[in-house]
Amino acid sequence: MTLVNTSVLTRIGNTPLVGLDSLSGGTTSYHAKLEGHNPFGSVKDRAALWMIRDGEERGILTAGKSIIIEPTSGNTGIALTGIANLLGYKTEIVIPEKASNETKEIIRNLGATIFETSDDLCPKVGPGTDQSVALATSIASSRPDTYYSPNQYANEANFKGHYLGTGPEIWGQTDGMVTHFFTGVGTGGTITGIGKFLKEKNPNVKIIGCQPQKDHLIQGWRNFEESAKPDLFLKREDVVDDWVSVDNDEAFSVVREVFEKDRLLISPSSAAVYACMKKYPIPDGACVVGIFADDGRKFKSVYSSLGVMTDAEFDDALINARHMSDLAY
Amino acid sequence: MSDAAAKLDATGLFCPEPVFRTKIAIERMQAGNVLTVSADDPAAEEDISRWVTRNGHELLDMSKDGSVITFQIKKVK
Repeated sequence: MTLVNTSVLTRIGNTPLVGLDSLSGGTTSYHAKLEGHNPFGSVKDRAALWMIRDGEERGILTAGKSIIIEPTSGNTGIALTGIANLLGYKTEIVIPEKASNETKEIIRNLGATIFETSDDLCPKVGPGTDQSVALATSIASSRPDTYYSPNQYANEANFKGHYLGTGPEIWGQTDGMVTHFFTGVGTGGTITGIGKFLKEKNPNVKIIGCQPQKDHLIQGWRNFEESAKPDLFLKREDVVDDWVSVDNDEAFSVVREVFEKDRLLISPSSAAVYACMKKYPIPDGACVVGIFADDGRKFKSVYSSLGVMTDAEFDDALINARHMSDLAY
Repeated sequence: MSDAAAKLDATGLFCPEPVFRTKIAIERMQAGNVLTVSADDPAAEEDISRWVTRNGHELLDMSKDGSVITFQIKKVK
C-alpha cells in the first residue's frame, strides 16, 4: 500500500488556470483549468473529499469500521481511495472492466479492493459505469452497517464541491471576465456546480456541455442517448445553455496538436473539451474556460493503441510537457 | 471443498451481486466442474440463468424452496 502524508488534503482545489495560446487570438482568450494539479491527479479529488467529509458530518462514516464502496470509471476511485486511506477508511471500487489498466493499477496500489463489472451483468441497466453503479448499490444495500456508498451520481456534496470551490476559483482567476464555460458531463457535478455559481455572478455566462459520441472512448463521460442522465445532473440541467458533440476521432486528433502548440500533455477528456472549444463559434472579446479534468500521464497505453503517440513520443512528451504536477502517489 | 462440489451462498444479497459472485466463482473453476448457487432475491432467477446461457455455460437445474432459488451450473469452457 502506498503511504501518503495527510497534509496533501490541503492541496485539493485552487488548481491553475492557464492560457491556451493555440486558440487565443485578438481580443479572445482561451483558458484551461488544470484539474490534474489536485494531489491525486484529477477533478475528482474535489468530489471525493466533499463526499467523505459529508459522510463524516452526518455520522455515516466511522474510521476503522466503515468501508467506502463506489462505482467509478477511474478518477473517482483513485481520489476516494487516496483520501479515504488518509482518513482511516477502507475502500472497494467497482469499475468497468474496460477501464484502463493503468487506472486499475493505481487504485490497487493505493490500497482499494477492485470489483470489475462487465456489460452483461445486469439486464436492467445500461453498459459501462451503469453496471458498476448497480453492483455497488447492491453490495452496500445488503450490508448497511458496514458499507457507505457516496454515490457521486446523486450526492449533493459532489455539486457543492464545485459550487463552493471550482466555480469561485474560475470567477476569481478570470477577474469575473469569463463569458463561456465548457466541460464534459459524467455525474453532472462539475457542470451544474460551476455553472450555477457562474450564472449567479453573471447570468450571461454561457454554460456549454460537451457530449461524446455513442460507444465513446472518453473515460468518465456519458452519452445521454446510451446512458441515463444522473440524478445530480437532472436537478439543475437547466443551467446548460448549449451542447456540442464530439466524436472519438475529433478528440484524439488534438492530443498531439495541444502538445506541439501549448506544450500540454492532456487526457482524452481534456482533448474532447479542447476539440469542443475549438469548433464552437465564439465572438470576439470572449473569455473562454474549459475543464481539463486530468493530465495525460495515465494514457500511454491508450494513446499507443490508438496511434495517437508512440511509446517513445509519449515518454518524450511526459518529460517536456509544461504544467505537469507532483502527485501524492 | 473441491472445485467439483463448489457452492456459493448468495442468500441475503441483492441483484446484481448474486450474478456477480457467480461470475467470479465460475471464473475460478476448472471447465467441467459444477457450481451450486443459492439466492433469494427474485431477480436472481432471470439474472443468473440469463448470464449462464449468454456465457456458454450449462444450467443443469434450477429449483425453488420457498424464497430460495438453487442453481446447478456446469462450467463449459
